[in-house]
Amino acid sequence: MTRLTWWLFGLVWIGSSALHAQGLLDELNAVTEEPTLPVRATFKDTRIVNVQSNETPAEGVLHFVIAHRFGTLSSGAYDLWGLDNAQMRMAFDYGLTDGLAVGVARNTYQKTYEANVKARLLRQKTGPEAFPLSVTWYSVAMANGTRVAPEETPYPFTRRLSYVHQAVVARKMSERWSLALVPSFVHRNFVQESGEAHDLALLGVGGRCKLGPRFSVNGEYHHFLTESFGDAFSPSLSLGVDIETGGHVFQLHITNARGMFERSFLAEPAGSWANGDLYFGFNLSRVFTVKS
Amino acid sequence: MNLMKTPLFGSLLALLMMGFAPDAGAQQFMTREGHVHFFSSTPIEDIEADNRQMSGLLDASTGDFVFQVQMRAFHFEKALMEEHFNESYVESETHPKATFQGSIASWENIPNDGMRHDVVAEGEFDIHGVTQPQRIEGTMQWMDGAWNLQANFEVTLADHNIVIPAVVKDNISPVIAIDVEAQLMPR
Repeated sequence: MTRLTWWLFGLVWIGSSALHAQGLLDELNAVTEEPTLPVRATFKDTRIVNVQSNETPAEGVLHFVIAHRFGTLSSGAYDLWGLDNAQMRMAFDYGLTDGLAVGVARNTYQKTYEANVKARLLRQKTGPEAFPLSVTWYSVAMANGTRVAPEETPYPFTRRLSYVHQAVVARKMSERWSLALVPSFVHRNFVQESGEAHDLALLGVGGRCKLGPRFSVNGEYHHFLTESFGDAFSPSLSLGVDIETGGHVFQLHITNARGMFERSFLAEPAGSWANGDLYFGFNLSRVFTVKS
Repeated sequence: MNLMKTPLFGSLLALLMMGFAPDAGAQQFMTREGHVHFFSSTPIEDIEADNRQMSGLLDASTGDFVFQVQMRAFHFEKALMEEHFNESYVESETHPKATFQGSIASWENIPNDGMRHDVVAEGEFDIHGVTQPQRIEGTMQWMDGAWNLQANFEVTLADHNIVIPAVVKDNISPVIAIDVEAQLMPR
């Protein structure tokens, strides 16, 4: 054979052995099916800012949140821009299974107690049985714990109650972007004057932009679909950041809602973004693995 | 003109022979449910995870093999660990798989006699999108018509750009011990 033939022979041999090594991986990929896997961590925490996200605590995990909401930023230096008027919410949520959680909470605002249940109905998945969305249901009952004047007694307990039911329809669009649509229904048992509405429907939209492995910017807005509970109330608009450090998630935010439970921040945000009647908030969450 | 003597024809013939000849009679062994276990040990905390969905393919004519795992299929004792693993450390959304491609040294000398034989494999390990040369020690044993594989190796996280934040630096070992077990069946 000529020299040229040997060169060609050599080149082909090198080429075919390189192809052969790569071929094994291609062959493996051709015969292995991608597994169907649930999409995780659409949001870092069980809340976007105020509103629930699609996430629930995992089975056997106790999720403890201490949330703070300060006075209005517009109250000025005398109140240290609201820091003198802190309110808090203490919440315990427990994952009975990976898809079902129950919780209780207590708020400074109107001394409100909460009992809630949160259930994942559908889960976003990738793989052969892919599903594009997560849907999580959230229902909470709230009880106003403030004392009433002696002349108003006896005061039936049912007057203290209000309820919120929500469906959180979420999708992790990409590693960076997650979006949620949150239709909400608010019911209050008691109104001050006859003719006032007992019910309110809203459509919320929330999202996050993950800017680093442990940092994201979140926002949410809730549009009134029916007439609001009062002229003084405006739709809830909140912006915040999530910062994760090991077992804690810190959430810092600015919102026009004073209360941290659903009826209050959905139906009764009194602040106006235009006037700077905004509240600074700070949540700290910690998870404890109770049962592994 | 004698066709057989033209260089072009000769090299085409060589191409055909090299392209197909080595695969004739090649026997491949495969798994879809290999077990990968990893272990991080520090004085503060031991962290371990399991993945029972490792896929693998061994070419018994050459000793070349490839193994692959889905990072999201690792299961941890604590849900939060699993989330941190996927979200912050291996970034499994961006780098969904870890792959080892390599070759078993002196494969032709490993008999299928039912005994357990020590083997060494050299190859390339790709995790978190960073490929590094990796040496793996293990055993191969021919049993019931399948190759049973056991192997272990250590991965230095920094070599693959896996960054552990300062606050959990004492909880996660910089070097992770990895154990692999698989039964490779003829395909």
